Amino acid sequence: MSSKINGHVSPQPCPHLLDFRSRNGPKPFRALHDCIRVKPPGGCAAIRREPSEVPRCGTCEESSRSRLYACVACAAVFCHAPLLHSHASDHALSIPGHEIAVDVDRAELFCCACGDQVYDRDFDAAVVLAQTVNATATTSTSGSTAMQCSVAGSQPENLRKRRRVDYRPWEPDSGEHISRGNQSIPLLDATNASLVSSTQQPWGLRGLNNLGNTCFMNSILQALLHTPPLRNYFLGDRHNRYYCQQKNGAINGTKNSRLCLACDMDAIFSAVFSGDRTPYSPAKFLYSWWQHAANLASYEQQDAHEFFISMLEGIHEKVEKDKRKSQSPGGGDCCIAHRVFSGILRSDVMCMVCGFTSTTYDPCVDISLDLEPNQGGSGKSSSAKSLNSCNVEADCMHPNQNGGISTLNGCLERFTRAEKLGSDQKFFCQKCQVRQESLKQMSIRKLPLVSCFHVKRFEHSSIRKMSRKVDRFLQFPFSLDMAPYLSSSILRSRFGNRIFPFDGDEQDASNDLSTEFELFAVVTHSGRLDAGHYVTYLRLSNQWYKCDDAWITQVNESIVRAAQGYMMFYVQKVLYYKESENQGTS
Amino acid sequence: MKHSVNRPPTPDAAEDQGKEPTLQEIINVKLIESGEKERLMELLRERLIDCGWKDEMKALCRAHVKKKGRNNVTVDDLVHLITPKGRASVPDSVKAELLQRIRTFLMSAAL
Repeated sequence: MSSKINGHVSPQPCPHLLDFRSRNGPKPFRALHDCIRVKPPGGCAAIRREPSEVPRCGTCEESSRSRLYACVACAAVFCHAPLLHSHASDHALSIPGHEIAVDVDRAELFCCACGDQVYDRDFDAAVVLAQTVNATATTSTSGSTAMQCSVAGSQPENLRKRRRVDYRPWEPDSGEHISRGNQSIPLLDATNASLVSSTQQPWGLRGLNNLGNTCFMNSILQALLHTPPLRNYFLGDRHNRYYCQQKNGAINGTKNSRLCLACDMDAIFSAVFSGDRTPYSPAKFLYSWWQHAANLASYEQQDAHEFFISMLEGIHEKVEKDKRKSQSPGGGDCCIAHRVFSGILRSDVMCMVCGFTSTTYDPCVDISLDLEPNQGGSGKSSSAKSLNSCNVEADCMHPNQNGGISTLNGCLERFTRAEKLGSDQKFFCQKCQVRQESLKQMSIRKLPLVSCFHVKRFEHSSIRKMSRKVDRFLQFPFSLDMAPYLSSSILRSRFGNRIFPFDGDEQDASNDLSTEFELFAVVTHSGRLDAGHYVTYLRLSNQWYKCDDAWITQVNESIVRAAQGYMMFYVQKVLYYKESENQGTS
Repeated sequence: MKHSVNRPPTPDAAEDQGKEPTLQEIINVKLIESGEKERLMELLRERLIDCGWKDEMKALCRAHVKKKGRNNVTVDDLVHLITPKGRASVPDSVKAELLQRIRTFLMSAAL
């Protein structure tokens, strides 16, 4: 009874709705449009015939009923409680053509004859439009662009713009055919299969020497060396350090231009994947990075996350500037670092007085998550006990009920939760033209190829004027589905039950790619804020390896699960090749 | 909507028809008019999410739909299904907090 439109399931109308639509012209809900009121603080839509109406049932005159419906045909309001009495059903049955009503508090269509919700595209479009109405003046906050939430309900699905190239399988031309035959040997045949499997460890596992408190660098390098799209890029010779224009000074002749972090990365990839198992010293890379991040150039301990960000910036800056490509990091066309790690975050700020919403989009290369301020208190665990009697499946338990264990999903859920901005952070509302208290909600507009999650494990105490490390354990999954944190999901839950393509869906690249991710690297930290040690765990061929500077050992996955995660790297499942079982196992 | 013949007459104030509004009615109207009801609803939603009540109800609905089939379940069915369990499983702390808020409101409104 439902059809799929581009992956979204669209419910079919019931016969009463069809009937209503056919009898009332092309815009049957036109009159309802004036009755849509946006209620602060969350900006939900409600139906009120007059702005300050207190809706009550026309038959029993009670306003305290939990479900009140306004008949779409005659605007009369009735209560609906099927077990006790339903004056809405009475009305629907008594007058033909008056079966369709609208929930006054939720602005959702309902068929009183069928006793079920129904959906109409035009109506939903009107509701969403009312909830996202923009004032005439637009503004752009520094560093990011405010985008108007455009309503595209009228645009047919097949006109959606898509950058798409039809897939054609590759066939070698005659020249390639010949050279293929001449110089290539099969990778895996009887003779050299033994060669591959005789190596105890998978390709690309090589220890990195500590050059003096450089475990922060080694740990990140190990993770990057095994980031599938990055690894493929460099091993596929996409940045050749011998031909690099940037480094050879072809662009500008100044001395600084000879520095290219991508070339140094290329060198490390070549060294690490060469098959040589003796520990490698990334001295050249360290030197280059010092030149790039002069303020961090020392043998003091550094923060791995800071290094990660600095490194990505370094690769971005030193890349050959191609004028044809867009330079905005969000597009991911500027450099390999952003192509792999850059996603887009959406931030909605809703005025709590008038409901007006301001939306901004910002690119990001990772997501920094706060740990829970305090573990689930005793109050929550006692309520968990009372709910257990309802026979619920274990996997539906709310994260807070997990005996107080913090989870990555819990952190992400908190990250995308609507939060009240403090009264000292009042936001200037376009519509009210004055600073008002607001609700802010983050969501992910576009997922990157590789998601890096950074756990904020430091607390700054303003009383003591010092920072300290938070050692609390954070549980992280090996497989992660990011669907609930996407803008489309967040918007859907904010606007209620609508069939409506949000602007977030239109050019949403994540529609084409899956939202499922697989963990492949975990950077852990042990010790104090000022003195500690970084270790990286890598997942290759479904085995876990501990990379502790120059020492690489195979470990059980339970060790990884129990580790104190500081940065977790997830790659899109479609890019995560489960390498053949034969390789690398004894 | 046709604001004309088909629309039933707007109900006059209950007093004119000789019907005393119940206390519940009076309080409800006061809550709505002051905007307090909306705030209380937001608070209640937040509390019920925090304690896992919403997830519990969602799970019940999912199980029911799975059993009956997606096309054989209506909103009324689901409301009928979870209303008794839902009412029974609201944590006492949540009830207490809301009652306190309402009490405070009434005291301030009476002045």
